[in-house]
Amino acid sequence: MSTYNMVKQEFIKKWITTLHMLDCSVEHPLNVTERKNAIKLSSDIAMAAARSGSTVWSRALISRSGNKTANKPVARRILKKARNRLKNRCLTLRRNGNFTAKSGVRKRTELLKSLVPGGELIKNKDYLIRETLDYIVYLRAQVDVMRTVAAVDSVTGNLTNDNK
Amino acid sequence: MLEGLVSQESLSLNSMDMSVLERLKWVQQQQQQLQQVVSQSSNNSPELLHQILQFHGSNNDELLQGSFSQFQMIGSGFGPNYNMGYGPQHEAMDGCISRTSSCQMEPVDTMEVLLKNGTKEDRPISLKNKRKQEVKTREEENTEKKIKVEADTESSMKGKSNMRNREASSETSKETLKGVSEIPKLDYIHVRARRGQATDRHSLAERARREKISKKMKYLQDIVPGCNKVTGKAGMLDEIINYVQCLQRQVEFLSMKLAVLNPDLELAVEDVSVKQFQAYFTNVVGSSKHSIMVDVPLFPLDHQGSLDLSAINPNQTTSIEAPSASWESQSQSLYNTSSLGFQY
Repeated sequence: MSTYNMVKQEFIKKWITTLHMLDCSVEHPLNVTERKNAIKLSSDIAMAAARSGSTVWSRALISRSGNKTANKPVARRILKKARNRLKNRCLTLRRNGNFTAKSGVRKRTELLKSLVPGGELIKNKDYLIRETLDYIVYLRAQVDVMRTVAAVDSVTGNLTNDNK
Repeated sequence: MLEGLVSQESLSLNSMDMSVLERLKWVQQQQQQLQQVVSQSSNNSPELLHQILQFHGSNNDELLQGSFSQFQMIGSGFGPNYNMGYGPQHEAMDGCISRTSSCQMEPVDTMEVLLKNGTKEDRPISLKNKRKQEVKTREEENTEKKIKVEADTESSMKGKSNMRNREASSETSKETLKGVSEIPKLDYIHVRARRGQATDRHSLAERARREKISKKMKYLQDIVPGCNKVTGKAGMLDEIINYVQCLQRQVEFLSMKLAVLNPDLELAVEDVSVKQFQAYFTNVVGSSKHSIMVDVPLFPLDHQGSLDLSAINPNQTTSIEAPSASWESQSQSLYNTSSLGFQY
C-alpha cells in the first residue's frame, strides 16, 4: 500500500527532526533509560505530528508528551499548535474519575479508551472505533520504522563487533 | 383481450378471405365459451382454472383441427401452391393461437402458468388464495427456481413498497415470507422487510447506525490480524485491545533497543524513503566487510567531515587498530552515521 509507505516516510522525517532537536537540548552522557525515554518521546511526538489532523488521539498524545517535556523548549515548537486545542479537554480528562462498567462490551470499551490516547474524551462508540483504527495504523508504522532502524543498527553494530 | 385476439387472427390470415369469416366465427364461439367458464369460476380456484386451461388447450386443438379441415377443403381446390403457402400459415396460426392462449392466460394470473407447468398431473387443489401462494412456493422450489426468485422478489417488492399504504398486500407478503422462509439465500432480505413494518423511521435509523458500526468492525478486522475468527463486539474489542497493547509494548521495547544500540541518540537516518533505506541496508550488508573494519578512524571528525558517500569504499587501507573500547564505540557510532552515507 502506497499510503502506508507514505505514512512511514512522514513518520521518519518527523522523528529525525524531533530526535535531533531533543538531542541538542540535552547533555550528552545519558543513561540508557533516559535515552530510551527520549527516543520513545520523540517517536510519539513524531507519530502524532505525522497525523497532525483531525484525530483526537494525535492531539491528546501531543499534549500528553508536552507535559513530559516541559523543560525542553525545542519540543514546544511542535506542540504549540496542538496543545492549545486540547487544553480544556485535558482538564476534563482528570475529572472523569472511575466508574465500573458492568457488561462485557462496556468494560472493554472502557479499557480501550484508556489505551488510546484521548479515548476517554470520546463519548460516541462510533468515533472511538474510528480513532482506534487510525491510531493502530500509525502505531504500526512507528513499530515498523523502529524495527528497521534497530535492525540496521544491530547489523552494523554486529559487523563492527565481528571485525575487532 | 378480444380485440387483440381478433387483430392477431386477422393479421395472420390476410390472404385467406374466405376462411376469415369462418375462422372468426370459430374464435368467437370459443371466446364465448371461455367467458362463460371464466364467469363461472369467480372464486379463481385453481381447480377450475386448471380445467379452463385444459379446456382451452383442447379448444386449441379443436380450433386447429377445424381450421385444418377447412384449409384442406379449400386448399385442395387451389393446388400445390396453396399447400406450400398453407404450411407457414398453419404455423403462424398455431403460433397465433398459442399467443392468444398465452395472452388470455396472462390477465388471469401468472401463477397459474407456473401451476400448469409445475403440475403435470391433474391434482385437485382446493385452497384459498393465501394458502395457494404457499403451496405454489413449495412447488416452485421443486420445479423452477428462476420463476420462484422472481415471484419472491415481486412479493418482497410488494411488501416493501406497499408497506405503509396497503395492509392487505403486506399481509400477503408476510405470509409468502413465512412460506418462503425455508430458502436460505433470500431469508435475510425477507426478515428485514418484515421487521421494518413497525415504527419505520426509528427502526431504519437504528438499522443504519448498526450497519455503520458493523462496517467499522469489518474494517477493523482487516487491519487487526486475527480478528476474523472472533465474532461479536466483545470478542473483537478484546482483539483490538490486545493488538494495541502489543504494539505499544513493541514500541517500548524497540525504543529501548535503539537506546542501547545508539549511545549518542543519533539515529543515522536521513530523509530517505523506507524502501531506499532497506535497499541501502542490504547493499551495505552485501558490500565488503573489510571496508568498514578498516576505516576505524583515529580522527573521526576529519573523516566525518571529509567522507560523504564515498565512505562505503574508503581509500585508506592502512590497518588502523582502535586503541580503546570507548573510543571504538564512539567512533563506531560516528562511523555508522558516515558509512551509511548520511550526513548529519
